[in-house]
Amino acid sequence: MNSVGEACTELKREYDQCFNRWFAEKFLKGESDGDPCGQLFKRYQLCVQKAIKEKDIPIEGLEFMGPSKGKTEDSS
Amino acid sequence: MKIWTSEHVFDHPWETVTTAAMQKYPNPMNPSVVGVDVLARHVDPTGKLHSHRLLSTEWGIPSIVKSIIGTCRTKTYVQEHSVVDPVEKTMELRSSNISFTNLVSVDERLVYKPHPHEPDKTILTQEAIISVKGVSLSSYLEGLMANTISSNANKGREALEWVINRLNAEIEEFTASARGTMRNSMAAAAFVEK
Repeated sequence: MNSVGEACTELKREYDQCFNRWFAEKFLKGESDGDPCGQLFKRYQLCVQKAIKEKDIPIEGLEFMGPSKGKTEDSS
Repeated sequence: MKIWTSEHVFDHPWETVTTAAMQKYPNPMNPSVVGVDVLARHVDPTGKLHSHRLLSTEWGIPSIVKSIIGTCRTKTYVQEHSVVDPVEKTMELRSSNISFTNLVSVDERLVYKPHPHEPDKTILTQEAIISVKGVSLSSYLEGLMANTISSNANKGREALEWVINRLNAEIEEFTASARGTMRNSMAAAAFVEK
């Protein structure tokens, strides 16, 4: 599956792989601590935000935030 | 305004259906969805996962039309917000179009839960509210759109079944190759020990 920004597709795929694994093996089993995909998500997000601005896609009132649990993330 | 609702039972446990729903695209039943992006995602203090996604769709506009209006303007966009509660075992998904909002609004809500009487099955309740704006034939057009949504909903369910089969096949393949590798290493180890 592609990203809205052609340049972001590879970053998206890496993030998706990480997320899908975490979702099925950790999150659904009640282990939502830890955020193994945070760095991948940040890189992917920077690319997508740029693409959305360039293509003028009307997304309103959306704060682009990385994965967080309502507390400050440590960048590891 | 037109409201359409439906209910469907998947013969798979909730975890399987939810995992497939998060990876629904691409699939052969929804070829018009050409892009999916996650705009925001977080686990809230109660442990629920919120995801905000952007879907890009391309409706197979004839290339001659594309060459006139330009390829950048043939995509339409839908935004989708989902909440997954792994404790209560619910997944709720709401989506609405963000293109052509001056003409039409289509708001959909899908809820996946374990079947109340058969815990290895999943029940999906789905509703759509369609509103065509400022056109005197609006109720006719809304009816047409409801039919489209209904047939798309069938495609959507087939799509989930397709994704579930694909994920199961991947697991089987992985297990078979892991077994093969283990057998080879055990045979090699036994040979060395002798």
